[in-house]
Amino acid sequence: MNFKGTLPALILQALAQEPTHGYQIAQKIKERSEGVLDFKEGTLYPALHKLENDGMVESYESVENGRARRQYRITRTGRGMLAKDRAEWRQLSRAVTTILGEA
Amino acid sequence: MSALEEWLREATRSLASESTAMVRREIQDHYEAAREAAIADGHSAEQADMIAVTSLGDAQTANRQYRQVLLTAAEAGMLRQGKMEARAVCSRPWLKWLLIALPVALIDAASVFFFHGKAEFARDLLLAGVAMSPLFAALLLPIYTRSRGRIFRYAKWIVVTAAVLLLFGPEALKWSWLLLSCLWPMAWTEWTRASLRRKLPVSAWPRHLYL
Repeated sequence: MNFKGTLPALILQALAQEPTHGYQIAQKIKERSEGVLDFKEGTLYPALHKLENDGMVESYESVENGRARRQYRITRTGRGMLAKDRAEWRQLSRAVTTILGEA
Repeated sequence: MSALEEWLREATRSLASESTAMVRREIQDHYEAAREAAIADGHSAEQADMIAVTSLGDAQTANRQYRQVLLTAAEAGMLRQGKMEARAVCSRPWLKWLLIALPVALIDAASVFFFHGKAEFARDLLLAGVAMSPLFAALLLPIYTRSRGRIFRYAKWIVVTAAVLLLFGPEALKWSWLLLSCLWPMAWTEWTRASLRRKLPVSAWPRHLYL
C-alpha cells in the first residue's frame, strides 16, 4: 500500500515508546500494520535523517550484543509533531470514512 | 561484487565522503540485522542475503532521497570553500575592514562627485555602494540566529535588486542579459546555501550560511 507522506509520523510513533534502531523501527511498522504497510527499508533512513535535521529525533551510538548500533529517540519537538499528525490523521480519516459511507 | 555492495554503490552516488560512510554503516547494520532475522526464520544463508538486499528496495530511489537530506560531494566542497574564505577574511583584520570600508568609500566618493556637479555619476556610485553595503555590513551585524539570518537575506535581496533596477533605470530590461549573468553566481550561491541550511542542524551552521 502506498503511504507516501505518512512515513515520518509512523517513525515517530514507532519511537514514542522507547529508543530503538533502524531495523527495529521498520519491523515495528510492518508488524503493527499486519503487513499492510510494506515499504522498502532503504527509504527509512533518509526519512530518519530528515527527522533528525528537523530536530524531531536524535541519534546516539550504543552497543547491542557486542555490536555498535545507532539508536534513535524521539525529542520533545518530535512528540509535539506526533500529536499534531495524529490529530490531523483522525480528522482526515473521519472525513474520508464519512464520504465513502463506511462509518 | 556482492549485491549489497552494488546497492550501496548506487545509493551513495554523488554523496560526500562523510555522508557515504554514514550510509554504508547504517545500511550494513540494517542488512546484518535483516539477514540474521531471515536465518532465524529458517532460510539458507544465500536466501537470507537475497531477502536482506531485496527488502532495501530500489537503490536509485534511496539515492534520490539521501541526496535530499545528506550533503552531496559538491555541497561539501562548497561548505569547505566557504569556511576557507571566511577564515581568510576573519584572520586578516585589514581585509575585513577593507571590505567594510569599500561601500562607505563608494558612498563618500558619490557625495564628492555630486558636489562637483557630476550628479549622474554620483548617483551610480551611490547605488553601487548601497548595493554592496548589505553584503559587507553583515560582518558587523548581529544576524547569527535562524530568524535574524532569514530577515537579513530578504533585506539583502531587496536592497540589491532595488539598487540594480535604479542603477539601470528604464534600460534594465534591455540590459537584462548582463544583469542576469552578474546576479547568477549570487543566486546560485544562495540556492546552494539554502540546501545546506536544510540539511545541517542549526548548531552546525558555519557563519557564512546565515548570510
